[in-house]
Amino acid sequence: MAHGNNAKSLPADLSAPAFVDIWRTRALIAGVAFLVVAVILGFLSGDHWNHFLRGWLHGFVTCFGFCFGGMLLLMTQYLSGGKWGYIIQRPLEAMTRTWPLVFLMFLPVGIFGASMGRLYIWAKYADWSTALKNHLITNEQAHAIRWKALMLNTKAFWIATIVCFTIFALYIHLLNKWSLQRDADAGREGNVTYWRVKFENLSGFGVLLYSGLLFLLVIYWVMSLDPTWYSTVYGFQFLVGQAYQVLPLAILTLMALSKAEPIKSTFRLIEQHDMGKLCFAFVMLNMYLAFGAFLIIWSGNSPEEIPWYLDRIRGGWGVVATLDVIFHWLLPFTLLLSSDLKRIQSRLAVVCYIMIFARIWDVFWLIEPNFRDAARNLHLSVGILEYIAVPGALIAFWMAAYFAELRKRPVIATNDPHLAEILEQEYVHA
Amino acid sequence: MATKDAPVNDPMLDPRTGEFLVIGPGHTFKSVTEKVSRIVLTSHTPLGWFFGFLIASGFTGMLLVAVTWLFLKGVGIWAITIPVAWGFAIINFVWWIGIGHAGTLISAILLLFKQGWRNSINRFAEAMTIFAVICAGMFPLIHVGRPWLGYWLFPYPSTMNYWPQFRSPLLWDVFAVSTYATISVVFWYIGLIPDLGTMRDRAQSKFGQFTFGMLALGWRGSVRHWVRYETASILLAGLATPLVLSVHTVISFDFAVALLPGWHTTIFPPYFVAGAIYSGFAMVITLAIPIRKFYHLEDLITLRHIDNMGKVMLTTGLIVAYGYSTEVFMAWYSASRWEWFMMWNRMFGAIGWSYWVLITCNIALPQLMWIRKFRLHAGLMFLMSLIVNTGMWFERFVIVVTSLTRDYLPSSWGTYRATRWDYMTFAGTLGLFTFLFFLFVRFLPMIPMSELRLMLPQAKVRAEAEPLPEAGD
Repeated sequence: MAHGNNAKSLPADLSAPAFVDIWRTRALIAGVAFLVVAVILGFLSGDHWNHFLRGWLHGFVTCFGFCFGGMLLLMTQYLSGGKWGYIIQRPLEAMTRTWPLVFLMFLPVGIFGASMGRLYIWAKYADWSTALKNHLITNEQAHAIRWKALMLNTKAFWIATIVCFTIFALYIHLLNKWSLQRDADAGREGNVTYWRVKFENLSGFGVLLYSGLLFLLVIYWVMSLDPTWYSTVYGFQFLVGQAYQVLPLAILTLMALSKAEPIKSTFRLIEQHDMGKLCFAFVMLNMYLAFGAFLIIWSGNSPEEIPWYLDRIRGGWGVVATLDVIFHWLLPFTLLLSSDLKRIQSRLAVVCYIMIFARIWDVFWLIEPNFRDAARNLHLSVGILEYIAVPGALIAFWMAAYFAELRKRPVIATNDPHLAEILEQEYVHA
Repeated sequence: MATKDAPVNDPMLDPRTGEFLVIGPGHTFKSVTEKVSRIVLTSHTPLGWFFGFLIASGFTGMLLVAVTWLFLKGVGIWAITIPVAWGFAIINFVWWIGIGHAGTLISAILLLFKQGWRNSINRFAEAMTIFAVICAGMFPLIHVGRPWLGYWLFPYPSTMNYWPQFRSPLLWDVFAVSTYATISVVFWYIGLIPDLGTMRDRAQSKFGQFTFGMLALGWRGSVRHWVRYETASILLAGLATPLVLSVHTVISFDFAVALLPGWHTTIFPPYFVAGAIYSGFAMVITLAIPIRKFYHLEDLITLRHIDNMGKVMLTTGLIVAYGYSTEVFMAWYSASRWEWFMMWNRMFGAIGWSYWVLITCNIALPQLMWIRKFRLHAGLMFLMSLIVNTGMWFERFVIVVTSLTRDYLPSSWGTYRATRWDYMTFAGTLGLFTFLFFLFVRFLPMIPMSELRLMLPQAKVRAEAEPLPEAGD
């Protein structure tokens, strides 16, 4: 639908503005500073770098969520064809291209956590009968380690991770390559349909594959920290959690980029409002899954399941759990109810920051109580501060990589049927 | 999905996007109104309608017989026993409630997502929701054995100090389903009002003018009316959206909060909701395809609708498949012998065949919908919708029967074989549903004319001043 001379036109230069380089430098500086603090804390804590490693796992899981959650949202956008996602396509692509760094972040988890058994008790006590005899593990843990040995072993851990990363990397390569090729293909008859079919076919199977493989990975990386624990909705919760953390980051990126061209001309209130509504949907979906799982397990009150929640509620953890609900749901829910808020950049930005923080907070609540010294025993120590320093460093480095990738390509995809509408004046479809 | 194999000059295709049009070409405000309203206002009822209505009435009569006999003899005429104390009643209840979900999703969530293609199908999908809830609501009521005491389910100040058990999800069902039914009826009726106004204005008979006039609540189509109508629609959509999730979630709690292998699992809430939408969309297709053929509505319910609904079915079917896979995997990963036995029994036990029926119907065959040509074939999609709904019924059968017949204690194991009264009651509700639907398509506009008119190119807001279309165009 052309609307005559009211439509805006795209600026000639579609690359991200130069100030993104400043962000990257700042992120790098922050990363180094956090890392220095983390190392100092590692020496001071005297816990043999245990908390450093746990904090590393936390940071890795968060950065994994940003990178591959970006891939998930990108594929979802191709499938739904929604206008809301067109404008964030390129930022999402930039997130996905950080995967090599995320893989590097995984290596300490694999080497120290699994191969050396510093994080996973199934790796540390693969000889479960001796460990049981020496009272190093409980009967339940021994049974779980024995039963799941086929899956929970170091070799399988590495193979699963490497296979999954390889598949995801292939997907990321295709999504990014085709995106540029599509732009170059503009003008050819039938190209719009051709590319849409191609992206839909790739993404349809991609979302399916990713959903399954993510479940496998989170079982290895997070759920198996407590080998006795299981929950069928766990993978789905991570899937939604990734979208929960990626969408606010994409919105924040657009807001920051909208201070200059080309995003200044293309980021309209309509799309901002729509993305705010989508955030609201993720807030609700996230809490829906979390509360559903809690209600089922709490009412069941079975000895196999309930300790997982008790470990995360008692001994001071109730404060963390309560704040988790407040940050994760109560605050964003109440704020995003307002239609005006979603249309005012500065206020929506606050909600986006809250959502990202809530996700980081939630990952902390998921990880730390798995360890014997921390279950039902939240204690302030030098070591616990690693959960700020190490993830802080990893996230800052990841952000630096993200900003670097953002600068490498045009931030607007030019050969997309939504572009014409995005360039229209807002009132036309308001 | 795009249509790269379709002829480029096909008038049913949008030349800009290559997708099928939501409304066929050449339609005007007048033609849409005439096409839809004529179905209701005509004095000539098609013979086919009478034929279908007669069959549906026959099945409804069978339901009346079955329920009457039930009231006379008690629930002993059904196969329910210990340990399968719920049997067909809960299976049918969950199945019917699930079917209703598509109507709410189409009318509320797709409205909020600005999915214009929903406009042609939302009216009869909403009607389908109401009729499905009627069929569903009947089962718990007759299952209690003394339906005249059904009001005990509600917390009321009883002199006998009866008070519902608020910790029971069965009570949550009462509130969830009654809220759902209320909102669905209100939403459906509000959506009907502009069209009822049109019907009142077009009706030739005094009776028609009076009836539609009463139902239209004084609708005049003024700007003020439209503003209030739009506000009410959005508010109701906002209220109905959480209901799409909450109703089947609460129903999933009926099972999930119980400590029974195969029931007590955290994936149940989202997996039940996805399953509900899956079966609901299947039923919308089951209804839409014959209707568009019989009433020649192919240019209002186009292949775009069939295609999109096929995609929704495929997506929700895959979520359901994800749920099944997770259940199987976690049965092993739980390291619980009981969970593992439950899954083995579900697959290879005495009624293991029913598990493979559901896998075939819900997972294996629907993968054909990945193929675009399949999704664009109305006949095949009709067949697929029937297959999916068969599979979804078996899903509930498997959940209820296999888990209850083989719980923790072998001493309490049992068998279940439905009686003729079980089958008659279920088939009877299919008849009642169809009976009500036949009445709906004959006496009310099944496609929202007012919303379809807004989708025509003439209704688009223009940035440049253009001459107004002539009256009647």
